[in-house]
Amino acid sequence: MSSWDRATAIKLGLSALALATIAASPLAGASNLGRPATPAEIAAWDIDVRPDFAGLPAGSGSVEQGMEVWESKCESCHGTFGESNEVFTPLAGGTTRADQDSGRVKSLVGPNVPQRTTLMKLSTVSTLFDYIRRAMPWNAPKSLSDDEVYAVTAYVLYLNDVVSDDFVLDQDSIREVQNRLPNRNGMTRDHGLWEVAGKADTHNTACMKNCAADVEISSSLPEYARDSHGNLADQNRSFGPVRGTTTAASAAPAATTAPTQPAGTSRLAMAEEYGCTGCHAMDDTIVGPGFRQVAQRYADKAGSLDQVAAKIRAGGSGAWGSMPMPAQEQLNEEQARELAEWILSGAN
Amino acid sequence: MGNPMRIRAKLDGEVVDAKVLMNHAMETGQRKDASGALVPAHYITKVIASCNGKTVLEADWGPSVSKNPLLGFRFRGAAAGDTLSVTWTDSMNDTRTDEAVIG
Repeated sequence: MSSWDRATAIKLGLSALALATIAASPLAGASNLGRPATPAEIAAWDIDVRPDFAGLPAGSGSVEQGMEVWESKCESCHGTFGESNEVFTPLAGGTTRADQDSGRVKSLVGPNVPQRTTLMKLSTVSTLFDYIRRAMPWNAPKSLSDDEVYAVTAYVLYLNDVVSDDFVLDQDSIREVQNRLPNRNGMTRDHGLWEVAGKADTHNTACMKNCAADVEISSSLPEYARDSHGNLADQNRSFGPVRGTTTAASAAPAATTAPTQPAGTSRLAMAEEYGCTGCHAMDDTIVGPGFRQVAQRYADKAGSLDQVAAKIRAGGSGAWGSMPMPAQEQLNEEQARELAEWILSGAN
Repeated sequence: MGNPMRIRAKLDGEVVDAKVLMNHAMETGQRKDASGALVPAHYITKVIASCNGKTVLEADWGPSVSKNPLLGFRFRGAAAGDTLSVTWTDSMNDTRTDEAVIG
């Protein structure tokens, strides 16, 4: 879709919405709600790369450059060879040279490779490129340049023996790679879900009797069950807009809206802003230890403030398991110290 | 003959940080296939890593090591540009050697 089409589609969408609003309520002037999206807004949103490579930006990156980016930004979670199964399932492995010829991954059938890797399932290389470009690295999505995305994509393909170690991926050679992808013929639309009238995958039969006149859609947690699994709010990553509800026994439902101390809130916001909460929760281990676990172990030790502050900036591994923490150079020393103080004081 | 290994060796100060991903079935000899027959044991029994003619790591392995094992180790005494060579031998007397330049 060209950007003009998109702009029109968005405007049409908005006016359809406005019409619906008018139909539903007598509110006058609702058609003035919103404004057409600006070309810059559309360009920022319109980054998808499609299987036919529409939307693919120009650029290039070699396997060697990809290895450099990989080892600084990707290795800590995905492993040196994309083999790690600690945070995510493995990216590479499970395919053979014969799969590249046939375009169907043989080990998807049968018990030999019980765990599916990303490259076993991937049928369009554009998806790999698009995903890395919009979502990776996890703590700083969209921070890679187009050339870096090409390079990392090339490296992932190299790890799976799809390309050789001297390969350079660019907007032309990516088309050749598509023809070598192990599971390129593995997707089928030859089943019911692709057709409106197709055979469903359940034996669902329409029951249009005794229908409820009014349906109230709701979701709630009974009072007696609130504490069954501890405080759900503390077990969730506080990353992005979704939060767990507070279910601690001591916290009455009203307490969920009670404000915490302003100082703590701002530090928590800081931890969110700098990506800490992508891997660290308040109490429990997710990828790294919970903030309060760190406080419990180190708060009373001499010199722990300096140590934790230094560790935040430099990263490291070993103290809490083998999963390494990448260096957080976006923080200056003062900010790291501020966060360390907050963590060691119990992250309240 | 076996399948090729992936080796990455990086010099960090004086210490070389080496990672090796071996491509091996590592059958324990206790697993049964779909027809109920035992899959014969086939696992790596010996791993030797050497650099500049010196053995830097020697390991006796058994059937409890995972399929496609990842081996990480560190050693001193090598310079950038030296070659790290890793050899495995398995229970069917198959062997494979791969090399990587320390970077």
